[in-house]
Amino acid sequence: MLKAKIKELMNEPGCATNQAKSDKDRKKGCGKTLVPGAAAGGCAFDGAKIALQPITDVVHLVHGPIACEGNSWDTRNSWSSGSNLYRRGFTTDMGNLDIVNGGEKKLYKAIKQAIARYKPAAVFVYQTCVASLIGDDVDAVCRAATERLGTPVVPVNAPGFAGSKNLGNRLGGEALFEHVIGTVEPDDVGPCDINILGEYNVAGELDQFRPLLARLGIRLRASITGDARYREVAACHTAKANMVLCSQALITLARKMKEKWDIPYYEGSFYGISDTSEALRNIARMLVEKGADPSLIGRTEDLIAEEEAKAWARLEEYKPRLAGKKVLLYTGGVKSWSVIQALQEVGMEVVGSSVRKATEADKKKALERLGGDEDKLADAITPRDMYAMFKDGKADMMLSGGRSQFVALKARTPWIDINQERHHGFAAYDGMVAMVREIDLSINNPIWAQVRAPAPWEVE
Amino acid sequence: MPQSAEKTKDHVSLFKEPEYTEMFAEKKANFECRPSDEAVLAQSEYTKTWEYREKNFARQKAVINPAKACQPLGAVFAAQGFEETMPYVHGSQGCVAYFRSHLARHFKEAVPCVSDSMTEDAAVFGGLNNLVDGLQNCQTLYKPKMIAVSTTCMAEVIGDDLSAFINTAKEKEAVPADFAVPFAHTPSFVGSHTTGYDNMIKGVLNYFWDREKGEVKPGASNGKINIIPGFDGYAVANNRELKRYLDDMGVDYTFISDVSDIYDTPSDGTYRMYDGGTKLDDVRDAINAKATIGLQQYCSDKSLEYVASKGQSTASFHYPMGVGATDALLMKISEISGKAITPAIEKERGRLVDAMADSQAYLHGKKVAIFGDPDFVYSMAAFLLEMGCEPAHCLSTNAGKDWTAKMEALFATSPFGVGCKAYAGKDLWHMRSLLFTEPTDLLIGSSYGKYLEKDTGIPLIRLTFPVFDRHHHHRFPTMGYQGALRVLVEILDRIFEVTDAASDISYDLVR
Repeated sequence: MLKAKIKELMNEPGCATNQAKSDKDRKKGCGKTLVPGAAAGGCAFDGAKIALQPITDVVHLVHGPIACEGNSWDTRNSWSSGSNLYRRGFTTDMGNLDIVNGGEKKLYKAIKQAIARYKPAAVFVYQTCVASLIGDDVDAVCRAATERLGTPVVPVNAPGFAGSKNLGNRLGGEALFEHVIGTVEPDDVGPCDINILGEYNVAGELDQFRPLLARLGIRLRASITGDARYREVAACHTAKANMVLCSQALITLARKMKEKWDIPYYEGSFYGISDTSEALRNIARMLVEKGADPSLIGRTEDLIAEEEAKAWARLEEYKPRLAGKKVLLYTGGVKSWSVIQALQEVGMEVVGSSVRKATEADKKKALERLGGDEDKLADAITPRDMYAMFKDGKADMMLSGGRSQFVALKARTPWIDINQERHHGFAAYDGMVAMVREIDLSINNPIWAQVRAPAPWEVE
Repeated sequence: MPQSAEKTKDHVSLFKEPEYTEMFAEKKANFECRPSDEAVLAQSEYTKTWEYREKNFARQKAVINPAKACQPLGAVFAAQGFEETMPYVHGSQGCVAYFRSHLARHFKEAVPCVSDSMTEDAAVFGGLNNLVDGLQNCQTLYKPKMIAVSTTCMAEVIGDDLSAFINTAKEKEAVPADFAVPFAHTPSFVGSHTTGYDNMIKGVLNYFWDREKGEVKPGASNGKINIIPGFDGYAVANNRELKRYLDDMGVDYTFISDVSDIYDTPSDGTYRMYDGGTKLDDVRDAINAKATIGLQQYCSDKSLEYVASKGQSTASFHYPMGVGATDALLMKISEISGKAITPAIEKERGRLVDAMADSQAYLHGKKVAIFGDPDFVYSMAAFLLEMGCEPAHCLSTNAGKDWTAKMEALFATSPFGVGCKAYAGKDLWHMRSLLFTEPTDLLIGSSYGKYLEKDTGIPLIRLTFPVFDRHHHHRFPTMGYQGALRVLVEILDRIFEVTDAASDISYDLVR
């Protein structure tokens, strides 16, 4: 069953990368075989957990030995405006006797205890390698528990060995599609309800654009999954449009929701000023097409004009300090192009952008903004090459995720985190100003002079 | 009953019991003749204003909450750093009890130190008899190799002449004629504990180089460097840290006063009245060193002047803490000794710089207020500037005008020093006005800053003597690269604690 599901996910018709492939390549699927002995990223379990954990009012129960939960417990800055239940670490903590005798009973008891003690809106049960290897049937346990205990218990069948983290994201989306979405019928369906997919409310980013939507009278039915409530997600099939943010993670979910409930979707981004405007425009367009008041389009344009003017004006003050600084973007995905414009606007030169994890469309947009200079687009840059770039002074700073930070820092180059472990929201208009401010603080910190200078006794 | 034998309550909770709260309320209402709560509050608010600040800074006579101690405290500290030496204070015994408790509360160690308990008749007739008897008793009871004599105000006011008195005591055979009794006049009404430290070091050098066997001429160089650490609450760890560097570089050295053993004795069933310290023979030989370095200029001015008069080269620093300050010290040592700074030390330096880079985002632009001894405040401010913090208010009760000029020159070296100010001779009540009118993100100083912390809500980091209310801080260094790393971590910890305490939804695991 899991195999069939993976095969299906590997051939996603909604995925631009997949569409661009030859038939032969498509058959191979999109999973890259891992090289034993080479450094690799997270597993499918990790991916599923990341995708679902931001749902705040449920118990996230990991069925496996301690390390799976122990290492992933609360490591992402996904904020909640309500329940903090999702930040508790729940696990069955399987021991060797459980592995000999099977862990299904222990899992059932754990679910029962968690429900009795915390009264959660639901329980999400995560399968792991070990439980999967010994044949624990998580689906069956969850089904039985749901029936007997009266609280939805959702199996998330994404054991680590299934594949990559990205596959895990998608398996998480599948769990929502199969077991959650459509199970609650709300009594307040409106013409301007939307869902946002692939937004995890890192550092509270949701609230950098939720108020913009509110000003337009657009209601966020469900955010999947940042700051989400279980019942919102369960009722999200009633929304009129879906906006997909991190397209590679939940695109399959968006496509399936379109097929099943006829909800149109748009892949966009709230990173960057023009992109935020573009996203708002598209949301308004989709809603009007689905029957919302056509005046929404005009009101959206007004809001965009006002907010853009404010944001550009706020960026002015950074120009003198940032003009001419060379920056390397190493993020992949939508961010490979979406922040370029704001950086260029304050006078910074983007010397390169990595387009790994980016779709063909992403690449095209990035190229456009970099003036058609192909050399500036790179897939993965090896740490060695990246180090050389900094050493040779080709870049004054890097924006990336935490994993490549030390390449920059060891090459004595300022760095800021614009991925999931960041502590500042960088979304929408306010977020972009915040990012430029962070760049300013980082690049102009006096420590860099100290870092770059050799020990004084080495200088003649 | 608030107390019962089964479960005795500690004062933290006892006085919150209804019996006590009622009693306090009643006392306040009926016997204190207080102005109204509103009036008290209004006055309290007034003391936080600019208007009050100006009045406060115009204050000339009263000193409120001074951040300094007196000369003999520094002299006792200096004396304890020599081999089997009993610090002896000629004057009233109450002062000595203060020095002992002050040092013991900080170092959590017994502090052997005696006085000759001058009383009223001694004040009238002079303290000669006390000194003669005192030296004899001290020598008989505690069997030291050296007795280092300093003075309290009382002896200074009546003008007791230590040099003459000690000679008389030796003539009267209170102690043997060749017994080492160096001395220093250390009136509290002049200078502070840093001055007293300097005077005692000079007194000891002067005894062995000029008095013991008449004037000694420097002989062939012994190839060593003398190091005067200065008054330092973290000396236990800092001296050891510095020795590690020197050993690593293969530099031969003599610490002139080293308290790292006596203020950190092990609990192994043996009481050590004396432990470690600079060997008296090494002090005698120190005159033949290549050079003498003072780690804290304001603790060794006079001593270094005296050393220089013997034809030795000298150098002084301001409490080498932080990257630049440690660089400068090591380079000077390397220059004098001709020994290279080793790759291991350079690696430590790189690690410190790496750590500073890792954390810079959290430090950038943080405003900090500092108080303490002049050398400490100088280096703390310099280190903060290196990290992109702004040492907005730098206050030193026992500093003078030259210090202010040095601080201003330091501020001018960095864009983060713009708007920073040095306050020499000001006290912690001045600091309170500064913190209320121009608040900072952090306050760095000693335990005495805790009242300011409570009052202003600005988090305090304890990094200088005395630290009475936190344990064992002195066992880890603040000087050198490792020390700077520790200082960095303490600052960061405080920043993160404050961030966490103020966070609700952004109460993050990873920072």
